[in-house]
Amino acid sequence: WTIHVSVFQVVMKIIKHYQEEGQGSEVVQGVLLGLVVEDRLEITNCFPFPQHTEDDADFDEVQYQMEMMRSLRHVNIDHLHVGWYQSTFYGSFVSRALLDSQFSYQHAIEESVVLIYDPIKTAQGSLCLKAYRLTPKLMEICREKDFSADGLKKASVGYENMFEEVPIVIKNSHLINVLLWELEDKSTAADKHELLNLSSSTHLEKSLQMLMDRVDEMSQDINNCLFFIPLQYIQRRQQENAQRQSRGEPPLPEEDLSKMFKPPQPPPRMDTLLIASQLSTYCQTIKEFTSQNLGKLFMAEALQGTSSYS
Amino acid sequence: MISEDHVTLKTGVMMLKIQDLLLSDDEEDTKRVVRSAKDKRFEELTNLIKTIRNAMKIRDMAKCLEEFEQLCRAFLKSKTIMDKEGVPQFYIRLLADLEDYLNQLWEDKEGKKKMNKNNAKALSTLRQKIRKYNKDFETEIASYKEVQSCSPDAFTSSSGSDDDDDEGITAKSLLKKKPQEEEKKAPEASKFLKGAADEESESEDDEESEDWGSDSVDSGSESEDNEGAAASLAVVFLKKYDSRRKKHKKKERLEEEADEEAEAEEGGWEKVKGGAPMVKEKPKMFAKGTEINSAVVVKKLTEILQARGKKGTDRAAQIELLHALAGISNENNLGEGILIKIKFNIIASLYDYNPNLAAFMKPDMWKKCLECIDELMDILFANSNIFIGENIAEDSENLAISDQPFRVRGCILTLVERMDEEFTKIMQNTDPHSQEYVDNLKDEGRVCGIIDRLLQYLETKGSTEEVCRVYLRRIMHTYYKFDYKAHRRSLGLQGETKSEQDQEESEGEDSAVIMDRLCKFIYAKDRTDRIRTCAILCHIYHHALHSRWFQARDLMLMSHLQDNIQHADPPVQILYNRTMVQLGICAFRQGMIKDAHNALLDIQSSGRAKELLGQGLLMRNMQERNAEQEKIEKRRQVPFHMHINLELLECVYLVSAMLLEIPYMAAHEFDARRRMISKQFHHQLRVGERQPLLGPPESMREHVVAASKAMKMGDWRTCHSFIINEKMNSKVWDLFPETQCVREMLVRKIQEESLRTYLFTYSSVYDSISMETLSEMFELDLPTVHSIISKMIINEELMASLDQPTQTVVMHRTEPTSLQNMALQLAEKLGGLVENNERVFDLKQGVYGGYFNRDQKGGYQQKQSYQRGKHHSHQRDPHRSRSCSPVLLTCVGWMQLL
Repeated sequence: WTIHVSVFQVVMKIIKHYQEEGQGSEVVQGVLLGLVVEDRLEITNCFPFPQHTEDDADFDEVQYQMEMMRSLRHVNIDHLHVGWYQSTFYGSFVSRALLDSQFSYQHAIEESVVLIYDPIKTAQGSLCLKAYRLTPKLMEICREKDFSADGLKKASVGYENMFEEVPIVIKNSHLINVLLWELEDKSTAADKHELLNLSSSTHLEKSLQMLMDRVDEMSQDINNCLFFIPLQYIQRRQQENAQRQSRGEPPLPEEDLSKMFKPPQPPPRMDTLLIASQLSTYCQTIKEFTSQNLGKLFMAEALQGTSSYS
Repeated sequence: MISEDHVTLKTGVMMLKIQDLLLSDDEEDTKRVVRSAKDKRFEELTNLIKTIRNAMKIRDMAKCLEEFEQLCRAFLKSKTIMDKEGVPQFYIRLLADLEDYLNQLWEDKEGKKKMNKNNAKALSTLRQKIRKYNKDFETEIASYKEVQSCSPDAFTSSSGSDDDDDEGITAKSLLKKKPQEEEKKAPEASKFLKGAADEESESEDDEESEDWGSDSVDSGSESEDNEGAAASLAVVFLKKYDSRRKKHKKKERLEEEADEEAEAEEGGWEKVKGGAPMVKEKPKMFAKGTEINSAVVVKKLTEILQARGKKGTDRAAQIELLHALAGISNENNLGEGILIKIKFNIIASLYDYNPNLAAFMKPDMWKKCLECIDELMDILFANSNIFIGENIAEDSENLAISDQPFRVRGCILTLVERMDEEFTKIMQNTDPHSQEYVDNLKDEGRVCGIIDRLLQYLETKGSTEEVCRVYLRRIMHTYYKFDYKAHRRSLGLQGETKSEQDQEESEGEDSAVIMDRLCKFIYAKDRTDRIRTCAILCHIYHHALHSRWFQARDLMLMSHLQDNIQHADPPVQILYNRTMVQLGICAFRQGMIKDAHNALLDIQSSGRAKELLGQGLLMRNMQERNAEQEKIEKRRQVPFHMHINLELLECVYLVSAMLLEIPYMAAHEFDARRRMISKQFHHQLRVGERQPLLGPPESMREHVVAASKAMKMGDWRTCHSFIINEKMNSKVWDLFPETQCVREMLVRKIQEESLRTYLFTYSSVYDSISMETLSEMFELDLPTVHSIISKMIINEELMASLDQPTQTVVMHRTEPTSLQNMALQLAEKLGGLVENNERVFDLKQGVYGGYFNRDQKGGYQQKQSYQRGKHHSHQRDPHRSRSCSPVLLTCVGWMQLL
């Protein structure tokens, strides 16, 4: 499974979409079109979802998509729905909404993917476009809507195997390749130096901030977990049992706990799982970023060293 | 004529009835049973008579007949009582009147013809009946008619005479059981001459007296025709009659008064019984010629006092009576003993005047009360041989003049204390912004004077306990007043010469000395905890007010009041709050900002300073308390002249909070666990930030907020100009006695704290900074700057070192950058997260087979499920901690790198 993405029709369009409509933490979304060829998914075109405003609440998205696809078909462009794309802000995209919509896509069209475009990383000099799919296990769970602890346990779904990343190959038509070659000749050297930008603290700070927020959420979830069990009663019972054991008496049965306390609704596991997944994504991006930056710093040091020696 | 006659008669009957009741009250207790029976019968009879008279008035003979028959039956029933008491005069009178009336009707042929058949028939029956019936009472009726004919003038000119006449006769006959016309006639007349007038002036209100005046003018022409005693009698009766008629119209209102009158008469009558002569001087309350000695006066006094507290007693009249009594005893030189006794009771009655505890005294009452107490004090001072006290029993009193010293029951201290409370009540109930308040406040001097005199008196005579009490009163009137005299004197020592008047004014003891003396006495001698507590608090307050901070603080700490004040009653707690506030303000004046803040924190942080200081009720918790509680709370309020300025209080608090908080905030900018020093101050800052458009500051709070913002930037000049300017001066700073000192202190504090803030905020920008520059920037001299910076370095607030030769501060740059701070914070949070995770894990391990094994029934055995549970927790929980670990690693890596 690989995904082939055409630069001009897809990547540039997504970037353009974000540049025009998204700013800050705002997210832009759109539809991917393409077709499955042998063992690869070729994404050949896309179109954006229009930005919602308050005054056209009755706007029908499905209707719009159908219209769009029909129109595209009329001009003989691939019109098969193969997924959707979304921009992200400092790598925060793992959310319930994404899970739900990706599930419904994958449920309807088996080969659907979601393309995540990170504009901030791209702005730093390296295009960041990633494709994700839900793992079959997660699909199973979502289909059964069983997000309880037991369900997740049975399906052995952890935060690390919720999403699978699909490798992307970016393909250009030869004409475009030629154009790019020509452009490269013309471009000045300064344009490429974005990649060597050494200032990293703002980006890191931001990432850390987001990370911290998630950690807070996580802590809260764990606290909820702690207090949802009738803690004090259990402790008392345990102490009692320990005493009884020391006296050689049979311990009191513990099953009656569930009878005495109406088992409260266990806290939903899925949110915690998503947060964990998001955390790991953050860590991943920070790790990548820092390793890159370290490299850059060493490079800069080396350069400075030579210049000072000379 | 007839109808009018009946009106008056009716009133007369009523009066009689009341009198009967009251008179019977006087009789001995042993007769109680008989009396009640008698009362009942008499009431029945008078009621029947009343209806008969009504029927007569409208010429309803049928009704008359019916009622008459009933009356006869009722009379028969009460035969036994009549035998004992004699036939009541009013009964006789009715019989006589009725017969006359019937005869009159009978003779009036024309009138009879107009009558309807029923009535005419009834008339004849009734006439026969009454003629027959009256034969049994021939003698009585004859004597009755004789009395009437004795004063024919009065009778003809005004039928009102019946009324009064009867009053006398009936009462008398009931008392003495048989009428004594011969004896009675002359005195009766004279009684009416004086009595009528006296009665009016004594117990009827002003309105009635006015009526009287106009009536006398009206009747003037009539009276001219007559001559001699009879004529004057007639005049009196006419007047009497008129006023009575008026009275009838206001019957309801007057009923009470009539009651009073009767009571007053009652007293008069009893004297008749006691004293031999029959001449009565009602206003003087004693029979003329009675040897007025102490025993009689005391008896009279007890009589008057018996009415005290009874329903329907006119308290004003009672006070008048007591005054009159005092006059009499004075005239007859009965000695101070009795006078004091009466005075005591007058004051007590004055206090009693308001039935409601919440109501306050009327100004005239208050004046009277003050005068009385003053007079009482005069007497007490003039005669050192008088012993007064609560503990002197009523029967061991010695009121008469003799060789023995006087002994009088009564407590002057209680009276004065009550007076003081009344004064507070008056002040509480006066609008503090009116001229009236100022006028009332002028009485404070008198109150203080009285307390001072009492203090002198009790110092020689009273027990220590009493002395303590009066000392506390004195303290209560002293502690909140700023001693300007002493203040001026302390300034005046520098050679300022004042005008003579000023010098005169500055004579006398310093209030501080007085406070010290009184309080120390109480500390040593007092047995009740409350007085001592109050005295300590007042003492502290007084110290604080006069800027003796260390004394005040030491006293507060030594008393340990802070630990147990919550057990005290609310007024003491209010006093405590006032003291704490004053202490805080004092600390502020002395430049102890931290102490000031701590002292004021409790009061200010609640946002209920007004309520806590007893200076007003908060509106918002209206639903939390009912009307009763509100009344109680209102009674606790401190009078306006003792209030502590709330704006001053808040300003002092906010400024001290600013001086503490702004450097602290600058020092701990990145500290995640930074605690607020003052919530209220932060609240004000937030309010300031929320303003969409920030104009120049208007209110005191806005000034402080603006100043805080300037200080945050280390800009002490702006800060200074916001804190000390025209507006703030007039609002706050000028209220202090040592305005200039306070302002200087403030400027200095602002400079120092701004310097600290500046160093905290901008130290990361500097590699080194010259102290000279700093001293120029903040207009502080070099040693001060040096000491401030040294202190900061010692406290590890500032990572720097001093370079002595160049006089510079060299920064060490050990402060973490914001990214490092963030990483630290994150590491901390992750630590917490891991800990929590482990707790969950532990719990689950311990609780296996509990909640998580609900699904055991599916055939699993205990052991299996245990393994399962364990497996499960292993599977799920560690992955969380694992998810954290890369982050931790990253952080650590970064920390090392940076």
